Amino acid sequence: MESFSFTTPAKQAVLQRAHIGVVGSGDLEILLEPGNSGTTVFNVRTASEGFQETWKAVFERFSAQHDIDAVITINDFGATPGVVSLRLAQALEVANQTKN
Amino acid sequence: MKTSFIELKGRERAQALLDNHTFNEILGPFDRVESPHLAAQGIVPESDDGLIIARGTLNGQDVVVLSIEGAFQGGGIGEVSGSKIAGTLERVLTDNQNGKKIIPVIIFDTGGVRLQEANYGLLIISEIQSAIVAIKNFVPVIGLIPGNVGCFGGMSITAALCSSLIMTETARFGLNGPEVIEQEAGIAEFNSRDRRLIWDTIGGAARYETGLIDRLVEDDTAAFRNAIIKAMTPGDGISRTRQIDHYLSLINAIDLSVKTSKEDAARLFKSEELLKTPILEDQPVAGKGRTWFQKLTGNATSISEYPSVLVADTDFEGEPTRFIAVVTNGANRFPRARHGEVGLQEGWAVAKYVRQAINEDAGLAIKRNIVAIIDTPSQAYGYQEELFGIHYSCAAGVDAYASARIAGHAVTGLIVGNAISGAFLTHGLQSSRLIAVNDPAINVQAMSKQSAARVTKRTIAELEEATQKVPAMAYDIRNFNSLGPLDALINLSSPEEPGDADVKTVVFELSKAIHAADGTLRHRLETPNAIAQGRVYSRLVRTKIAEQWS
Repeated sequence: MESFSFTTPAKQAVLQRAHIGVVGSGDLEILLEPGNSGTTVFNVRTASEGFQETWKAVFERFSAQHDIDAVITINDFGATPGVVSLRLAQALEVANQTKN
Repeated sequence: MKTSFIELKGRERAQALLDNHTFNEILGPFDRVESPHLAAQGIVPESDDGLIIARGTLNGQDVVVLSIEGAFQGGGIGEVSGSKIAGTLERVLTDNQNGKKIIPVIIFDTGGVRLQEANYGLLIISEIQSAIVAIKNFVPVIGLIPGNVGCFGGMSITAALCSSLIMTETARFGLNGPEVIEQEAGIAEFNSRDRRLIWDTIGGAARYETGLIDRLVEDDTAAFRNAIIKAMTPGDGISRTRQIDHYLSLINAIDLSVKTSKEDAARLFKSEELLKTPILEDQPVAGKGRTWFQKLTGNATSISEYPSVLVADTDFEGEPTRFIAVVTNGANRFPRARHGEVGLQEGWAVAKYVRQAINEDAGLAIKRNIVAIIDTPSQAYGYQEELFGIHYSCAAGVDAYASARIAGHAVTGLIVGNAISGAFLTHGLQSSRLIAVNDPAINVQAMSKQSAARVTKRTIAELEEATQKVPAMAYDIRNFNSLGPLDALINLSSPEEPGDADVKTVVFELSKAIHAADGTLRHRLETPNAIAQGRVYSRLVRTKIAEQWS
């Protein structure tokens, strides 16, 4: 297991917190919470060691597309970069859903 | 249109069962009560520890759904996930006792104890079972085994205690998984690659045909909901674990010279002409359980029909006391239970003699004490054992001991030898108070080292190295004591051949434990060891559930 964090500047607030996914084989869990630090903080724990550069690339791409002031906690059990991007997008969608 | 239930994740399953917009999660992901034991072993935890507690209504009835996430660590029961189930069921019991009707629905998708937290898993599963037995006096406890993981190990015993069980054809339900049976008993006993054999033994259809479950449904959310609504009807379901005479006569009638087929088993299960009187040989083998039974009962003759289960009533320190020990019968009718294991016969036999004490003392002001003398190497691993539902035999023992406690008997466990897995759950872990001999030769665990190594894909040397550092996984009685379940760890001059002074010491400690018994399992969470380090998260989970429960 390996833990690390990554931070990018951000301004936009998100509506609410969101939870997506499970820590199952090839999948990951994301907890997205509104922040107030002017950054997007990614806190990662992953079962696959030695892929920090790949994670960084995924986060940079996400941050380039989405400006969110939030803390994103990731518990990963071997998800591919594609799955990570998909789950991040799902989490953001739930976080910005307007309640009926 | 059908919507698959199996395909859903644990949280979605709970949402799908509940009436629209009533889902209310307790101790959810953002509470972040995760396992404190996994990260220490290099395993990524999950924020809900793989267990979803969902309050809501189902067809207008207040329910709580306890959904095990099978995709996380195979649905294994750890300290947090297990305590979430036990803590919730304890609230459900209190509510029902106070006249507030709430029905628990448990979705089993679990391999049993989470081996990385094995000692917690074992203890907490007994706490879950205790709550289920108590709740059943008020409302039904409904169990679902949808698949993919199915339901195994200690949790199969838990499921067997439910008022009503609902399965699909694609789920499996048994005490020991095929790989573990092959590991313990050899490929001739059970070939874990033989798919057909597996489904015919522990598959949903086989379980339904032999009558060990109540309903077989298609993989459809609406079908599950409808089945639950039917199971909520008062009087629905059969208390199989209380049909002791029926199951004992069934087990007496099994022809062990052949491998019984699923069809023959189904016929036998439905037959009326079973063997009421067992034909049994006895070849007593010396062991610690037998020694202590003799010492504590003054060499009393056992009243049990089953030579592997010794039972005697004595006057112990001035009080009527029934001692029960599971011992080695080298000529046990079941070859897989010839080394003192709890097998098909033993669980039901223990249940028979505990229930006998409950019934005989029903009207009495003073109920006899019940003492379980514990020296059990494991449950029996075998084909016939699974086919004929050894998990129900174990559950019968659990149900009987828990019922005795609830009825007002002081139930006490004395660990003199090994206390392992399903055998320990059946015989010992329902005791209000547990005491143990401080003997380095004693193993307490959820699985033998060989099987645990195979299942966790480690060598035995690697496993031993890992377990020494983690009390949650350790095999020795001192590490087990550090979790807080024992009232006393008794030092003897000779655990192998106890002399008069040793017997006197044990009598003193046992008497003290009997008088301390309070009819519940709560005390284990309140010992100095439990509070200081052993059960910190078990306690935290219960406190947090209480805060969020309304």
